[in-house]
Amino acid sequence: MSEPKIEGYKFKPGYSGMAADTASDQTMFKGVHWGKAMMWIFLLSDTFIFSCFLISYMKGRASTPVEWPNPSEVFALNAFGVPVPLLLIAIMTFVLITSSGTMALAVKYGYERNRKMCGWLILATALGGLTFVGMQAFEWSKLIHEGVRPWENPFGAPQFGSFFFMITGFHGTHVSIGVIFLFIYAYKTFAGHYDEGKRGWFTSMKGDYVEIEILGLYWHFVDLVWVFIFAFFYLW
Amino acid sequence: MSEAKKEQTTTHKIGIYLWIWGLLFVLSFFSYMVDWYQFQGLLRWSLILIFMFLKAGLIMAFFMHLFWERYALVNVLLWPMTAIACFVGLMVAEGKYTLFSRIFYFFVGGQ
Amino acid sequence: MSEDYNDNKTIQAQSSETISGEGGAGVTSDTDYVRPAEVADQDLYHGHSFITKWVFCQDAKVIGVQYFLLATFTGIIGLILSWLMRLQLGFPELAGFMTAEHYYQFVTMHGMIMVVYFLTALFLGGFGNYLIPLMVGARDMVFPYVNMVSFWMFFVAVGVLLASFFVPGGPTGSGWTLYPPQAILEGTPGSGMGIILMCVSLILFVAGFTMGGLNYLITVLQARTRGMTLMRMPLTVWGIFTATVLAMLAFPALLVSALMMSLDKLLGTSFFMPTILKAGEVLEYGGGTPILFQHLFWFFGHPEVYIVALPAFGIISDLISVHSRKNIFGYRMMVWAIVIIGALSFFVWAHHMYVSGMHPWFGFFFATTTLIIAVPTAMKVYNWILTLWRGNIRLNVVMLWCLGFIVTFVNGGITGIFLGNVTVDVPLSDTYFVIAHFHMVMGIAPLMVIMGAVYHWFPLVTGRMLSEKLGKWHFWFTFLGAYSIYFPMHYLGFIGVPRRYFEMYDSPYVTSAVGMNEFISTAAFIVGAAQFILIYNIVTSLKIGKPAGKNPWQANSLEWLTPTVPPEHGNWGDKLPVVHRWPYDFSVPGAKEDFITQTTPPSEVAETEVEKT
Repeated sequence: MSEPKIEGYKFKPGYSGMAADTASDQTMFKGVHWGKAMMWIFLLSDTFIFSCFLISYMKGRASTPVEWPNPSEVFALNAFGVPVPLLLIAIMTFVLITSSGTMALAVKYGYERNRKMCGWLILATALGGLTFVGMQAFEWSKLIHEGVRPWENPFGAPQFGSFFFMITGFHGTHVSIGVIFLFIYAYKTFAGHYDEGKRGWFTSMKGDYVEIEILGLYWHFVDLVWVFIFAFFYLW
Repeated sequence: MSEAKKEQTTTHKIGIYLWIWGLLFVLSFFSYMVDWYQFQGLLRWSLILIFMFLKAGLIMAFFMHLFWERYALVNVLLWPMTAIACFVGLMVAEGKYTLFSRIFYFFVGGQ
Repeated sequence: MSEDYNDNKTIQAQSSETISGEGGAGVTSDTDYVRPAEVADQDLYHGHSFITKWVFCQDAKVIGVQYFLLATFTGIIGLILSWLMRLQLGFPELAGFMTAEHYYQFVTMHGMIMVVYFLTALFLGGFGNYLIPLMVGARDMVFPYVNMVSFWMFFVAVGVLLASFFVPGGPTGSGWTLYPPQAILEGTPGSGMGIILMCVSLILFVAGFTMGGLNYLITVLQARTRGMTLMRMPLTVWGIFTATVLAMLAFPALLVSALMMSLDKLLGTSFFMPTILKAGEVLEYGGGTPILFQHLFWFFGHPEVYIVALPAFGIISDLISVHSRKNIFGYRMMVWAIVIIGALSFFVWAHHMYVSGMHPWFGFFFATTTLIIAVPTAMKVYNWILTLWRGNIRLNVVMLWCLGFIVTFVNGGITGIFLGNVTVDVPLSDTYFVIAHFHMVMGIAPLMVIMGAVYHWFPLVTGRMLSEKLGKWHFWFTFLGAYSIYFPMHYLGFIGVPRRYFEMYDSPYVTSAVGMNEFISTAAFIVGAAQFILIYNIVTSLKIGKPAGKNPWQANSLEWLTPTVPPEHGNWGDKLPVVHRWPYDFSVPGAKEDFITQTTPPSEVAETEVEKT
């Protein structure tokens, strides 16, 4: 967030500030909480995981001589008797972006120490995530019903099914883990653990509202990955 | 976990989040329209990529606060992407080559 | 040093008066000024019972030792496997119990164990955990709980790996690179449970390592003590830090490839499986690209080489500097070389794939980047030699290992230049020349660093010295033995003996290669046995070793300056150390002793010609 005051250290803007921060003692990321720095580095590592998945998908799709199924038709959904392309996917995108927005607001109210508002927004985010996972389950079962399997599919290249289930499955796992943590954090917020600095269950370390921002980073990352999956898998 | 010294964080106005939120909806709608109108070829791909990077950029810059972070953090996060870019570029070439050799040896040359 | 730092000093100077009497001219009370702490003191969980103190312990030092012991145990298994392989190659008539399948399985497990479960775990998990918090002046890793989970994930990963020896079909025998399609097709030993357990074990290792790696990175970046800038860190920390960055970015590719391969095996997907004819029948698989696996694997695999090498570079720099009583030559150059090697290592991976049938133009790109990466590496070698140049060398066991390392590394590096060029590599690839190259450069060389580091830091961990006499025996056996093993292998490679072959049958190589193989195998048995000298030395020295006392090597870096030796949980007692200089102020003209510790304030050494760092 915005620059904190650090005794004896003068902040500089831009690249000279970057050089000064890097060359200074104690911390490189000034005023950044340890947990937040950790989450960023973890997300960087996770970015590489998803990049490797998407690169594999690209390479697999580019090198198969068999026809690749047209996602616009495969993922169409009948609304009032008319097949609408990518209808479900559009709704899923809408839901995930909505939940990302509520999470951003939750972080904001968390820093303002508005316990109630923060808690409700986290809960809303969790429900958004849950809806997303539910719709993904619906999408999977629809495709499986149509005969798409990880090892084959009736529309063309068998790699379509493999990559689809693997990548959306991996993303869905991320969303599910996020939802579980959102519910836990919603409980902890309502119970006031962050106001009192109550110690955690496992790590026995004190709670703080910065944890909401850390979880928020993770949640936005999940949304970010969806942006790429949406573009490369459903639109391309 | 250490407690950072009391941060005098001034949180951002709610308006900025709502704006970004709205923009994300609009951009998602646009990228959906790319499919709706069935643009094809280079136009489709470039539009998809533009909307994708705009959305990704907005989420990272504002929802993930990267716009307000110091350059030390931003640069640490973005530079490793060059390795990914290199990997992507080479795999584009490799994919084309695999396809070429498959068609050449299995279909053309196999006759 | 940043300008801010100086700004603060001048601001402070206005309100301070000159200290009269002691110190030279210009010494003011602000000379020793170091900015106050930004972050409050770390909140630590202190173990109370045996379990929380020694088993599920959150102290990075204990976790480091746990990592060290488990990695060493796995390494000994790898050593035994290599003995069995050498028995088959040198004296096949004695190895009647070994089939070709066994041989392939041993090759695979030896490779995987040594690279991932031994060297990586030992350098990053072992030395990283023990040394990083001590060297940067932190009380512990920043997330002790996650750090503990990291070790136990590693423990489970090793368990799963070793379990594959006992499943039907045995461990996988597809070579340590696990290339599909053969890795998961029938006919390859261990293509059933073996390969699945290998993938699961690797995924567990990556997950566990990520937890540890986050700790190492954030501790170095965000939890340094007052006055400890990045450019005042010992090179050991720089090496381990950069290697951890590589690991965080390279292991994802391994995770993805292991996951996709297990899906190919378990669900019958065809990510990596092309259409295959087997005994006239087309298999279910089809349409995948095996070369994608190779790209993913080496996108991990090449940084992995530097994950092993960079900590070795860092540690050796410190050892050489301390034991030749001279500052490291070109410290900043060394740091930048480490960083540049790390960054470049992501752009060279396909030099392992020159003969794989990838895009023919890639050879040009990757040969170029590979030869560029030799530049910073060579710079480091020159700097080590220039550090020794006219130093006050103490020719103890640690220094012997350092010298052994430099020679071995230069050897392995030069053969690396051969293999980095496409035209030279093509006839040499998959011969014993390659085996000799990578065992020299990332087997023996890092191992020598580990040995040197064990002799150097054993007094810190246990408070007792290792026996010098046994150490010298250990060194000479290992050094001469390793060269007896690997020098002849270069020759075997030149005459074209292929690697990974169970036996040579009636090939024309037999005449010259047989005697050579017997010689190599004999040397391998002796070198392997010589390692037990070290184990004997460690076990006996724990009891009867000479008490080390504080700072036995007269080193400067923080790990020797703890209030108690060996350091206790929390490392520093009541007050964290304050750092005023880099750790390489040895033999400074005008100083009372030949070393100035990092915590010595400038006012105490105002008379000396110490440089500002």
